[in-house]
Parts: sequence; C-alpha cells; structure tokens
Amino acid sequence: MKDALLGLIGTRCLDCGFTAYPPKKSCPKCRSRNTKTVELGRVGKVVSYTVINVPMSGFEKMTPITIALVDVGGCIILTQLTGVRPEEVYVGMEVEATIRRSAETIDGYIPYIIKFKPVQ
Amino acid sequence: MWETFLRKVYVVGIGLTNVGRFYERSLRDLASEALIKALDDVGNITPEGMVVSNMLSSLIEQENLASLIADYSGLRGISGFKVEAACGSGGAAILAAYSLVSSGLMDIVAVVGVEKLSERPTPEVTRGLAYAADADYEIPYGVTFSGLNALVMRYYMSKYGVKREEIAVWPVLMHENGYKNPYAQLRMRITIDDVLKSPVIADPIRLYDSCPLSDGAAALILASEDIARKLNDTPVLIAGVGNALDSTDITSRFELDTFLASRLSAERAYRMSKLGPKDVDVAELHDAYSINGILTLEDVGFAPKGQGAKLLSEGRFRPGDKPVINPSGGLKSRGHPVGATGVYQVCEVVMQIRGDFPGIKVPCDVGLTQNIGGVGSNISTVILKRGD
Repeated sequence: MKDALLGLIGTRCLDCGFTAYPPKKSCPKCRSRNTKTVELGRVGKVVSYTVINVPMSGFEKMTPITIALVDVGGCIILTQLTGVRPEEVYVGMEVEATIRRSAETIDGYIPYIIKFKPVQ
Repeated sequence: MWETFLRKVYVVGIGLTNVGRFYERSLRDLASEALIKALDDVGNITPEGMVVSNMLSSLIEQENLASLIADYSGLRGISGFKVEAACGSGGAAILAAYSLVSSGLMDIVAVVGVEKLSERPTPEVTRGLAYAADADYEIPYGVTFSGLNALVMRYYMSKYGVKREEIAVWPVLMHENGYKNPYAQLRMRITIDDVLKSPVIADPIRLYDSCPLSDGAAALILASEDIARKLNDTPVLIAGVGNALDSTDITSRFELDTFLASRLSAERAYRMSKLGPKDVDVAELHDAYSINGILTLEDVGFAPKGQGAKLLSEGRFRPGDKPVINPSGGLKSRGHPVGATGVYQVCEVVMQIRGDFPGIKVPCDVGLTQNIGGVGSNISTVILKRGD
C-alpha cells in the first residue's frame, strides 16, 4: 500500500467512475467493490497550497515546507512542492511529479517520496 | 435510525476546570476536579459508569484513563472505558454515554473529557495532533494539522471570492465573547489588524486564526428520565445526538469546501430532536481554526454555502442574534483541550439553558454543539433543550 507514495496510485470505480486518492478498497461514492488500481497523471494544476512555518517534529530542517493540492486529471493529490520559492506558487500553476527525499523517520530511514515541481 | 430511542436522557450535572497551561498539575488531577465538581453539582451521587474522552495521553505515557480517573476520584468499582475520535473525542464519548443510559443498561453515567499536553514541546504536540490525519498519505509530506486546514481555507477563499479580512472577523468575535468567560484561556480583546499582522503558521492561517494548545477537563452527569428530576430541579434534555464520518484524508473528499460529516451529523441530531437550525438559540461550534468555524456555520445550516464569512462580517451571530455563536469564546479564546473540548461545549450550553453560565448569557431554550475530529472526518452534534 505504501508503494503508492512512489507510484502515484489511486483506485477507479468501474461502476460510477469515481477515482480515489489515496486508494480505497471500496468506492467512497457508490460503495462498489468493482474498483481497479490506476496510475494517476504525473502532471497537474495546483488547486490550493500552503507554506508551513511551524513544523511537526522531524521536519524542522525542511521548513518552510510548501504543500499543495494538485488536480491530476480530476483526482486531487496532496504533495510537497520542490524547486519553487513559496512566494512564486499560485492557484492554477502547472506542476509535474519528481522523486525527492522526505524527512528521516524515527527509526533512521530516509524515505523517498514523490514531490511536484513547476513544469519547465 | 437516529429517530427512535428507548429512554430520554438528561444532563443533571456539569463540572469544568479553567482552560490553560497547567505545568504544575497532572492529568488525573484535572480530570478529577471536573468530575467531582459535576458529581457535587447533583449532590455527590455515585454514577454506575464513566466514559472518558481524550486524544493524546499517550504523549505523556498514560493510557487506561477510565480506571485512573475513577479510582483517584473515589469511584473504584464502577464501569468505564475511554473513547477516542481525535479532537472529536468528547462528542463521541457523549454519544457512548447517551447510549448507555438511553438503552437502560445504566441510569447514571459520567462523561469526563481531559487533555494534558503542556509538558510536551510544541513540535511533538504538533506531530501528535497530526496523527488525526492520514499517516501513510499526508504525514510523510510534512503537512501539519494547521497546514491541512490552510489548504481548505485557501480553496474556500478562492472558490467563493472571500476576503482575508472577512475571515479575520471570526477570531475577533471569539475574543470579544471569551473576554467575559472566566474559564477561557485567552481572555483578551483583539482587532482585525492584530489578526492580519500575527505570525503565519501555515499560510493563509495565522497565529490568531488558530486555537491555543490547552490543558483542561470537563465532566457531565447523564441520567435517565425517571430519576433526572429527583436529582436536579433544572435537568437539561439531550434532545438529539448525531455522528458522521468522512474520509480521513482531505484529497478524496467529494467537496473540499464542505464538511460532509458536519452536515450529516447535524441532520441526524435535528431529525432525532424534531428541531431544525432555525430553532437553535445558541451554538458552540468547533473553531480550531477560523475556517472551521466558517465552514460549520454553513454545514450546520446557519448560513448558505459560501456565505458564512460574509454574514459574519455583516454583523450576524453576535449576542442578541439567533443563533448566538460561541458565547464561550470558542476554541479560539476559551481554548481547545483536545479530547475535552466536546464536553466543554455541552457544559457551556447546559449552563446557558440553566441560566448560570458565568460569561455572556444568552436567553435560550434550545442549544447545539458540534465537535470535530480530524479535518472534518469524525463529527458529533448534540442538541440540548430545556427540560419539559
């Protein structure tokens, strides 16, 4: 399940068409179990964003953190933006997926996750 | 369901501690103060059961709270357990206690909400609060609870063309109300300028849009219809309860600017009580951030969608209006002792109906409380009514 963080995986309902991210066992809209795993688009538009100045423990070195909701073809994902100054982000900005490191976990692992950067 | 119930249930006693940061006090000490005040409010009765609400006592390495609090308060031997629904734990515990009494399993049940976080450094508490979000799909990105609400706030503002200053009216009103509440944590008046110049926590959420980190405890004594009047001359009827769940993550929401669980839990409580939003004289809503207050004004049915901030900035919802919103000062000024907040809200509305709230008094027969867990993912609504 956690592979979804690297693969950008959601689930599409084959009955009503609703695409869910994070993936769900059953469709949240119509309860159908007739869902399939789909790879989501890797290019999208920012629909909302925030810049976090007060981090939780473990993320102090990354702060300020720019977080965005990105619409990738009708499905919204939550992600960190990279390669852009906080003040340059705007609603409607075009962004694309890339791989970056996240904060070290309490047991010492350095997870790599998908972040989004501005479309060049 | 949410239409029929077996026995009517009344609130016959309430007790609460001040909300604040009590470095010199323990969790059991706060919980016991509230519980004993509530028991004494009825005349030192012995409840048959107790439901405790709390979110983050694991941060101070204490679980199994029901036995700890019962024993410390002289109630060893009664029944009890803890309910957890993040910041919505208090409302959920009230639903559980309501069910115990309504079903006939018990006649008298105490609800004790408690939170004690001030020992822990802020980054650790911030992480703990984020446990209410999706640990696999939200937390790895470093998004905090403030950050998630900030995403909702910006979306709402851009969808409905709401101005930043209009939303800043919320915390100004909360401090105006809470200034007169002796239990409140932040008793000072602020201006819109103060809000707009306060430090940015998670843009566009600023410090003065955010509730403080709080310690506190509140308790209720619930009793069945046949004995409520023998215990108390002014029992307050729990006319309706409702709870609803939404996604834990905010990304798969059907609407980003609506708390579905707020609307559904309110509808369930309205249906059960045979009352509607127009009947409500006073409401205590869950404004962990200004945007939560605005959204729930709409989702509970006090304002049309997209109009909450506008109506507020035009002068609605103040003392003298119907409904009056958060005469306690809300989470913003009274404070947000996380797992206890839902219990505080009901204590405050019970006092409003009885006429003994020590702050701004609202003449009322019907009150509503709504308590939110997560970013709108687990929401409980309680409707209270003057006893027949």
